[in-house]
Amino acid sequence: MASAALVLTGCLSSSAGQGGGDTIRIGISLPLTGDFSEPGKGVRRGYEAWADYVNARGGLLGRRVELMILDDQSSADRVAADYEKLINQNGADLVFGPFSTRLVIPAAQVAKDYGFLFVEPAGAAEEVFAQGFDNLFYAAPAVAEDHYNHLAAAILAIPPDRRPRTAAYAAMDDPFAQGTAYGLKEKLERAGIRTVVDEVYPPNTTDFGSIAAKIADSRADLVVGGTQYQDAVNLIVTLRQLGYQPAMAAFSTAPTNPEFPKAIGAQTEGILSPTGYTPEADYPSNKEFVAHYTAMHGSTPTEDEANAWTTGQVVAAAVQAVGCADPDLGCQRRLIDWLHGNSVDTVVGELSWDATGKPRGAHLIQQYVGGQIRIVLPADTKEADLVHPKPTW
Amino acid sequence: MSGSLLLQSLLLGVLLGGLYALLAAGLTLYFGVMRVVMLAHSAFLILAAYLAWFFTVETGLDPLLSLVFTVPLFFGIGVGMQRLLISRLRPATLTMMSVLLTFSIALVIEGMLGFAFTGTHRRISLSYSGADIALFGASIPVVKLIAFGLAVVSLAGLYVLLKATRFGQALRATIQHGEAAQLVGINTDRIAGYGFGLGLATAAIGGTALALDSTIYPSLHWHWIGPLMAIIVVGGLGSIPGAAIAAMVLGLGQSLLQIPLGTTWAQTLFYVALFATLMLHPQGFFGGRLAQRF
Repeated sequence: MASAALVLTGCLSSSAGQGGGDTIRIGISLPLTGDFSEPGKGVRRGYEAWADYVNARGGLLGRRVELMILDDQSSADRVAADYEKLINQNGADLVFGPFSTRLVIPAAQVAKDYGFLFVEPAGAAEEVFAQGFDNLFYAAPAVAEDHYNHLAAAILAIPPDRRPRTAAYAAMDDPFAQGTAYGLKEKLERAGIRTVVDEVYPPNTTDFGSIAAKIADSRADLVVGGTQYQDAVNLIVTLRQLGYQPAMAAFSTAPTNPEFPKAIGAQTEGILSPTGYTPEADYPSNKEFVAHYTAMHGSTPTEDEANAWTTGQVVAAAVQAVGCADPDLGCQRRLIDWLHGNSVDTVVGELSWDATGKPRGAHLIQQYVGGQIRIVLPADTKEADLVHPKPTW
Repeated sequence: MSGSLLLQSLLLGVLLGGLYALLAAGLTLYFGVMRVVMLAHSAFLILAAYLAWFFTVETGLDPLLSLVFTVPLFFGIGVGMQRLLISRLRPATLTMMSVLLTFSIALVIEGMLGFAFTGTHRRISLSYSGADIALFGASIPVVKLIAFGLAVVSLAGLYVLLKATRFGQALRATIQHGEAAQLVGINTDRIAGYGFGLGLATAAIGGTALALDSTIYPSLHWHWIGPLMAIIVVGGLGSIPGAAIAAMVLGLGQSLLQIPLGTTWAQTLFYVALFATLMLHPQGFFGGRLAQRF
């Protein structure tokens, strides 16, 4: 496929310039093939839309933005080599992060070695922030552990006689997916909601019969899936096949995918999911983003595109505030310091970060209500009321 | 562990074992007939699953009806593949070269699926996908039961075909001793082609059974090839009853072990069984004399 080693600009052949000039070269490596190719392509669309938008408005600091995108084939070895190449040989002025925790960590290490600012769209797992990176910033509202914070608060606010008493957790053996489920588990356990099933399964699991049998047998009031797409769909259908009817069901990732209702059919009603982004959100820059993206691609953006665009917004805010965008250590240090001390308005709301680059926020909680996916938490942004208990599936 | 959970896991294990047997049947046939290690078998399963999904999306009809088209199509592809590609490999290096050849075919199928249907995960939306039949407090999922039924019918059909027909005799003769079969007038080349076609026809049925209850995507076949290879090695390469028994034992074992051990360890059962087989009984545990040739 043509994406094998895609460089979107001709600047590889125009060799290793040392920044400056009338363009800002942004080096990016993305998983355009391999395991993460679907979200990887989404992130690419987001980055491209952002660059297009910025260039249509005169660029950054009056300089055109040029993206240099390499394909790391979802490999952690390649992603590190890619960033080395982008910084050393291709003369990147700035770098943006790749997709997925597994690729973000090796990539951030390279950026750190060269003193580069590293804003990334997809490192939601706790371990990203435990590596001691002072140059890293996650451009999304919350890390995986905090995705369900609003839901935890809402459950604990339910009067004790109607509140779920037991919970079943099933999580993919993946830092992000597990992180989402365990963030909620920890909070609910602290409040006395008993864990009756706690299953971890490998990413290549194809049969969910046994896991579903355990959960159905436990009759847990609440089922939480720390899931990606296919495992969530397979698990939900298998739970239905075994006649299990929880009072509350929450799954990460899958329910926000447009394919989800097609896969599950009419039985999505009441299913909850955290989401970092919705095209309907009222933030000022979000309207421009949705309009620009929709005009460019003919469909509204999803979370991957939004996180990429947010990355662009965060870096652009720092560049404009500091007034430089070149690879020298002083400029990169000023960009990093500025982001540590300031907050940025983005399409996912106002973002600010702690010293490890972890955003200070929580995800919105969505639920299928009346056949449509609606924001139900937190109260100040909700589009519909939380439905509890969940209708039968 | 409660009694109802045990019964439920037993039922699910039997259903899973049936599906595994169906999915592995073709693999053991290819190896039995012509010592071909067919790495593309699971890619063909996913291809059949996609065709079933596409058929349902386009026509709105039940995916099982797609078998009317996919079974003859896959049989034809199998015969063609054997005659045009596999038969050109040199006998001395057949087994090894077939790994490379079928590996590349698997990659081509995966690439074509990605190109035609994108990498988006698909699932057939069935009105009965969540339906179940209650049995002593346990549930039998209807779609899993249908997949099991497909497995029973196909494997029984295959067994009858091999045991009771002239073609079956010729095929078994080809498996047992190719040269002797030629001496008694069997056109072993043609029989080998049909044998390969038959194997691929089971992939059409298996893939459709898989599509009833799985979310599918182009690279899914890599998740299947390992367990399926383990099944046919444990069962005895070349033996269809052996593969069926091994599939049932491993499916049940996986389902039951999952309760105390969890999913990750239960899945390693396949590789432990593979390792133990190769150490203790390299010709497989259930294959009998036929399989011992290899």
